[in-house]
Amino acid sequence: MSKIFYAKLALTNIKKNGKTYFPYIFAAISTIMMFYVMHFISINDGLNNMSGGDSLKIILYLGNYVIGLFSIIFLFYTNSFLIKRRKNEIGLYNILGMEKRHIAKVMFWETFFIASTSIILGLLSGILISKLMFLVLLKILGFEVPLGFIISKPSITITVILFGLIFILTLLNNLRQIHLSKPVELLKGGQVGEKEPKTKWIMTIIGIVCLSAGYYIALTTESPLTAIYLFFVAVILVIVGTYSLFTAGSIALLKILRKNKKFYYKTNNFINVSGMIYRMKQNAVGLSNICILSTCVLVMLSTTVSLYIGMEDVLRNRYPRDIAVRVDNVSDEMEEKLDNIIIKEAEKHNISIKDIIKYRSIEVTMFQKNNSFSLANRDIGNYSDISLLNIMPLESYNSQENKSINLEDNEVLLYAFRGEIKEDTVNILGNEFKVKEQLKDFNSEGILSAIAAKSYYIVVKDVETIEKLLFNVDIYGEKFENLSYYYAFDVEGEAKDEIALTYSLADKISEASLSGYAEGAEESRESFFALYGGLFFLGLFLGFLFIMATVLIMYYKQVSEGYDDKQRFEIMQKVGLSKEEVKKTIKSQVLMVFFLPLLMAIIHIAFAFKVITKLLAVLNLTNVTLFALCTVGTILVFAVFYGIVYSLTARVYYKLVS
Amino acid sequence: MILEVKNLKKIYTTRFGGNHVQALSDVSFSVEEGEYVAVMGESGSGKTTLLNILASLDKPTSGDVVLEGKSMSSIKEREISKFRRDNLGFVFQDFNLLDTFSLKDNIFLPLVLSGKSYDEMDLRLKPIAKKLGITDILSKYPYEVSGGQKQRAAVARALITNPKLILADEPTGALDSHSSDDLLRLFKEINKEGQTIIMVTHSTKAASHAKRVLFIKDGEVFHQLYKGPMSDEEMYQKISDTLTIIATGGAKNE
Repeated sequence: MSKIFYAKLALTNIKKNGKTYFPYIFAAISTIMMFYVMHFISINDGLNNMSGGDSLKIILYLGNYVIGLFSIIFLFYTNSFLIKRRKNEIGLYNILGMEKRHIAKVMFWETFFIASTSIILGLLSGILISKLMFLVLLKILGFEVPLGFIISKPSITITVILFGLIFILTLLNNLRQIHLSKPVELLKGGQVGEKEPKTKWIMTIIGIVCLSAGYYIALTTESPLTAIYLFFVAVILVIVGTYSLFTAGSIALLKILRKNKKFYYKTNNFINVSGMIYRMKQNAVGLSNICILSTCVLVMLSTTVSLYIGMEDVLRNRYPRDIAVRVDNVSDEMEEKLDNIIIKEAEKHNISIKDIIKYRSIEVTMFQKNNSFSLANRDIGNYSDISLLNIMPLESYNSQENKSINLEDNEVLLYAFRGEIKEDTVNILGNEFKVKEQLKDFNSEGILSAIAAKSYYIVVKDVETIEKLLFNVDIYGEKFENLSYYYAFDVEGEAKDEIALTYSLADKISEASLSGYAEGAEESRESFFALYGGLFFLGLFLGFLFIMATVLIMYYKQVSEGYDDKQRFEIMQKVGLSKEEVKKTIKSQVLMVFFLPLLMAIIHIAFAFKVITKLLAVLNLTNVTLFALCTVGTILVFAVFYGIVYSLTARVYYKLVS
Repeated sequence: MILEVKNLKKIYTTRFGGNHVQALSDVSFSVEEGEYVAVMGESGSGKTTLLNILASLDKPTSGDVVLEGKSMSSIKEREISKFRRDNLGFVFQDFNLLDTFSLKDNIFLPLVLSGKSYDEMDLRLKPIAKKLGITDILSKYPYEVSGGQKQRAAVARALITNPKLILADEPTGALDSHSSDDLLRLFKEINKEGQTIIMVTHSTKAASHAKRVLFIKDGEVFHQLYKGPMSDEEMYQKISDTLTIIATGGAKNE
């Protein structure tokens, strides 16, 4: 037999199995395209020139890994669908006299054709679309668009190597499966494992425990700092819970339903429950994959979209005033000097100052236990107990807020930012104060919103109280001598002057060798856009990839089930089930299988909502309404998408069954 | 008379209307209540088409089937499944049991579809299961039992609706000789209790158990034999002779 024979046979095979192979090739082309685009953008030199470009590059670089890893899993998974479907056909070749090495040759050619087609088409479309995606990214980031069309050789090389390897691995895996099996088994390939699944109680319980633990963590975590690391624990718990509930829990539930004779022996329930037991056995893993993927898509899109939309909010949260200056260890004379410098510099840059906030205070990190604060040890166990105290004299507060409150020696005003004190006293380093009032509202320092720890503003009677309280104490190896000075203001003027002013103020501080900072909203805007816009872009990009994967997995589910169910429904019709009844039961089963993962994903999101808002707060997005709207919006868009895919694949399914 | 088949004609047309294949040209016969009729014929003689039409799974091109005075062509499409469920019982060559159900649930299937209560189903099942000797394996699944047991479960499924007519399509086709004998004995017993049975078969042995044998050739009823007082062995001989005539002499007639 000539070489061409195998190649020809391989081509006919691909064509003949088009219903399953073309979506696979399409998926391969798309993943290759997306990988190329992501890699192309992440190594693009243009990004180096922009402020915040580094963080953007890191984000995009991570995106490369995510897509690469995802491609491996995804292509492997879909390939296993294909080979399972084709075992029958391969068994037939084997029986007709083809040796396994001949089959291997055919499979080699098949993989070769598929791989070369998808790599070539994937790269071509990648190259075409990379420019477009780059423009989209720059648009998102609000940058000017450079002209020119670049083809990146390193990106092409890496893409070819990665996907070449993936295809070789899938080929090896297929060969291994065929090598291990006997012809008779190959012939029956589609039908093996029809035994009734066992109820796995332990796994069900593990699933319930994991899921509830995950939900519990998500619901009870209050501090953003703990939220960061507990979030991942919760995610893992929920993933484990989802998998075990889909695999074991669903079957346990169905079997309980079956035990209930009154419920079970009703026409619809009878067919649905028994059918679902088998369906869940074959599909549980696929369904949990879809569920987890959907959850990822939803979380990713809703958070990145709301961060991007809420960018102005975020900037305002982070920078309550356009420019803020803070200098430590400032004496009275120094305070006056600083005021002059700021006003002079502003004039120099054609900027008028308004809405000034200025106060003197002292900032110290402490360890909080209920209402008492002590100096933090180096080896603190629980990060959520770290608190930032900002202690200021009443005089500063009154002049800042235009009030005339009086305080006794042992009285304080308290403002809690991301923290809570329920008692009406506070204890600072052993000194007990009575909380005269908990302030509802305070012009806090912007930088605090970038710190995940809890912060408290404590207004005491006068500077002497602060001196007594802190100046004689050794605080982390240092002693305070003076209060710090905070000066923040809004500006009127050109953005570029505002940026220049921020820089020159920072220069003045370092020239005078003072410890402190000067920061401005405009100055940071670019890097904020780079970071959040980058996340947004990645979110969209990965969201699209995951949706594609979800769609394809669902399509394969439907097709392979259609083949399996055909026979079952034929028998039922012979025994007396009418065509309409068949249609109805198919519909309810398919609906259940289809929308169960989506429903579960939405439940996950609902439980995760609170902890995600905490995480977003660390990223300075405190607008919960905006996030809620974005979440609902993405869920709706996703559900519509899902519904369209459902109706399309359901049609294929009906065709197969009837 | 329980069943009357009048001038059945069935022409299959290929999808795009090119070829016409005549499966049945003109079939007429009738079946009395309590009869046990075997239909024999070579492959392609049209016996499966005939059975499908009797089972209301297929519609004739012309002609009619009348079951207990009710014309099948008058039944609306929507009611046909219910009609089949209530009046007919099926036994197939490849059993057609669902792997997703235990034997018991497989037997219950037609009753569940008719909306019967569990207690009633259970009540009906007990005597049938006892008669067929499957009481002990009711909770097993089809893939766990032998072919003979599967076919007995299928018979139980056919009987449990108290059908007017049992239609059997090559019921011994997938069974070993021992199980075949068991099944044929069972059919005879059921028939003795008054159940009307029509069985399509290739097997001379299976046909020799019936009270009457119809021979179909080229879409027509070619000949029929009544068993009368003959023993199974004598009947067997007679059927073989007829088959030989159909295969050789029959050809000369054309």
